[in-house]
Amino acid sequence: MFDNQQVMDLPKHSEIQLNPLADKALLHVQLNWLAFYIPFCAVLFAVCYFNEAFANKAQTYLLIGVPILILLSMLYNALSIKLQGFALRNHDIAFKKGVIWQQITILPLARVQHMEIHQGPIERKLKLASLKLFSAGGVSADLQISGLTHEQCKNIRQFVQNYRQDDTPAQVELANE
Amino acid sequence: MSNTISQEQSSSLHWQKVSPWAVLYFVVYFSVRFVKDGLLNLLPMLVVFVTQVENKLFWAQVAGAIAIVTLLIYSILYYINFKFCISDDHEILLNKGVFKKERLTLKFSRVQNVNIAEPFYFTPVNLVNCIFDAAGSVTQEAVLPGVTKAYAQQMRKQIFAFKAQQQPDEQTPSSEHFEAENSLRISNKEIAKFGLMSNMAILAMAAIAPFINVLVDFLEQQIIAKVEGFYQQELGLLASAATFAMITLIALLVLTAVMLSVGMSLIRFYNFELYFKGQKFKRIAGLLERHQLSMSMDKVQSIVIKQNLMGRLLKRFTVECLQASSGGIAAGVAAKKNKQTLVLPVLNSEQVDSVCQWIYPWFNSKKLQFNGAEPALLYKNLSFYALIPSAIVLLGCYLGDFNAWLSLGVLLILAGLVTLAYQRYGYYLHEDNGRFYMVVRKGMIGVHYRVFELYKAQSARSISTYFMRRAGLKSLYIQLASGFAFMPYIKQQDADYIIDFTLYQAESTQRNWM
Repeated sequence: MFDNQQVMDLPKHSEIQLNPLADKALLHVQLNWLAFYIPFCAVLFAVCYFNEAFANKAQTYLLIGVPILILLSMLYNALSIKLQGFALRNHDIAFKKGVIWQQITILPLARVQHMEIHQGPIERKLKLASLKLFSAGGVSADLQISGLTHEQCKNIRQFVQNYRQDDTPAQVELANE
Repeated sequence: MSNTISQEQSSSLHWQKVSPWAVLYFVVYFSVRFVKDGLLNLLPMLVVFVTQVENKLFWAQVAGAIAIVTLLIYSILYYINFKFCISDDHEILLNKGVFKKERLTLKFSRVQNVNIAEPFYFTPVNLVNCIFDAAGSVTQEAVLPGVTKAYAQQMRKQIFAFKAQQQPDEQTPSSEHFEAENSLRISNKEIAKFGLMSNMAILAMAAIAPFINVLVDFLEQQIIAKVEGFYQQELGLLASAATFAMITLIALLVLTAVMLSVGMSLIRFYNFELYFKGQKFKRIAGLLERHQLSMSMDKVQSIVIKQNLMGRLLKRFTVECLQASSGGIAAGVAAKKNKQTLVLPVLNSEQVDSVCQWIYPWFNSKKLQFNGAEPALLYKNLSFYALIPSAIVLLGCYLGDFNAWLSLGVLLILAGLVTLAYQRYGYYLHEDNGRFYMVVRKGMIGVHYRVFELYKAQSARSISTYFMRRAGLKSLYIQLASGFAFMPYIKQQDADYIIDFTLYQAESTQRNWM
C-alpha cells in the first residue's frame, strides 16, 4: 500500500505563478470569431432578402438575438483569455484554461516528443503564434497554447529542445519574460 | 546462413533475396490488402455490375480471372524487386515495390521486437516470416517473408545483442534459450469463450453493413417466405407464422454472428502459449499463422484488465499489455492490429492475479483498497443522466398519451446504471521497492482496471467546475503513452498531491520510460 503521503515536500503545481497570454491575444480571438460572424450574418441577410415569408417571421428576433449572441461571445472570449495562463518550470510546462471546466495541464519536458509552432494569417499580422506540444499516446497535441507572441513560442521551443532531464539549471527566467 | 536465402552482390552492400516461396506470402498479403482496403472502393462498380450487367456469371468469371492473374503477376514482380540487406551500420535495408520503388531503412536501435510468424502455407517448407517491430509505427514495420526459423532467430539474436551493447542496462532476450520461469497455456475451449466475450461479431456485422439492404431483400424472398410456409403447414400457426419466421431468422443471424466471432477468436489465439522470463513475455498463438510475439516489460506502458457483461457471466477477464502508440487513436488501433499489444484473451481471476504477479509481485486484485469518487459525482450524474431524461420521458408520456409509469421505469433503470458506474470508479496507489504504481478502476456493468507505473505518465491534468471548486473537488486525468487514466470527483488535495507526485516521478526518474 502507498503510505508515504507526507514524507517529501513536493513542488506544488497549484502554487505556480502563471503568466498571462500576450496583449494582443484577446484581439486575435475576437477577430477569429468575427471571421465566423461576418459570413454567418451575410447568410442570414441573404435568406431574409430572398425569402420574404421567413424574413417577416424571424427578422425581429434575429435583429435582437444576433447582436446579443455576438456580445455574449465577445464577453466569453474576454473572460476565457483572462483565465488562461502558462508557466515554464525547470522540468515541465503548465497551461491553465477553461471558463466552465477549468483545466490545468502539466507536461514534463522529458516527455515532449515534438513541437509545432503555427501562425495563421491573423496571427502573422498581430505577431502572435500558437504552440503545440506533443507527447506519446495523446489523441492530438497534449498542450496547445494560442495567443503567445512568436518570440515567446520560439524561446519556449529552444528551452524545450535544450532540456536535459539530469540538468537542473535555473532557466526559469524565460517564464518571466 | 540459411540455404534458402540466395545471395547476390550489388554495389557495396550485401543484398540478399528471400526464398521463392515468399511469393506465397505476397499473394496472401496483397489479397488481404485488396479485401480490406480495395473492396470498399470498388463498391460503386459492384452496384453497377449488379444492377446493369445482364450476363453476370460470365463477366464475374472474367473479372475474377483477371484479378487472380494480376495478383499473381504483381506478387511475382514484387518478389523479384524485394531485396534486403543488413548494413555495417547496423541497419536493415529493404528494397521493395513494383511501380513505386521504396527503400526502407530500419536501425537496429529502433527495433522494439523481432517476432517470428509461422503461416500455415510455410509449414511444409519449414519457413517463417521474420517481423521487425519499430516503436508504434506500422509504416516502419519490416517483414522478411520466407526465411528459415534459424535465420530469423539469428537475426533476433544479432539485433538484441547490438541493443544490449548500446544499452547495457536493458535486459536482452534470447529466444533460443528462452527457458521460461512461468508459463500459461489457454485451452481452445477457453479461447472460444473469448469469441463470445469479444466484439468481433459486431465487427463482422459492420463489415457486411454496406450489403445489408441486398441481404435483407434476399432473406425476405428466399428464407422468410419458406419458414413462414413451414410454420403454417407443419404447425398450423396461421396467425403467428410471420412473427415466428422473423424470430427464427433473427436467432439464426445472431447465432451466425456468434459462430463467426468464435471462429475469428480461434484463428487468432489457437493453441495459446505464454512464457515469462526475466521481465520478458513470449507468446505463441494462431491457427493459420503461428505468430510469436515477444515483449519486454520495460516497453509496457500500462496493463488493462477488463471484463464486459459476457465476461462477468462467464467469470473471465481479458488482459492487455499496451506499448507506446505515438500519433493518437489511429496509431493505437494500428498498434493493436500490428500485434504490438500483448492480449491474454481469457483468464479467470486466479490466472489474472498470477499473470499480473509475474510482472508486479505485489498485485492481488482482492486486496486493492480503492478510494472511490465523492458522492457529489453520484448526485450530479443522477440529475443529468437519470432525472432529466426521465422528466423528458414523462413529458413525452403526457403529450403522447402513454402510461406515465414508463418514466418511472426509465428513472429506475438509469438511476441503477448511474449508481453502478459511480461505484466502479476508484483509484489505488501502491509503493513497492521504491517504485510507485497506480491502479484506476472504472466500468458500469463490466469492469475495467488500468495498472501503470507513475513515472511512465506523459502529462497530468486536473479539471474542475465552479461547483466542484466550492466543494473542494477535482477530477484527475493522467495521459499515458497508451491510453489514459481518469478519476473524477476526488478531494482537491488528493488530486493535487497525485498530480505533483506523478510529475515528480516522471521528472526525477532516470529510467527509460519507453
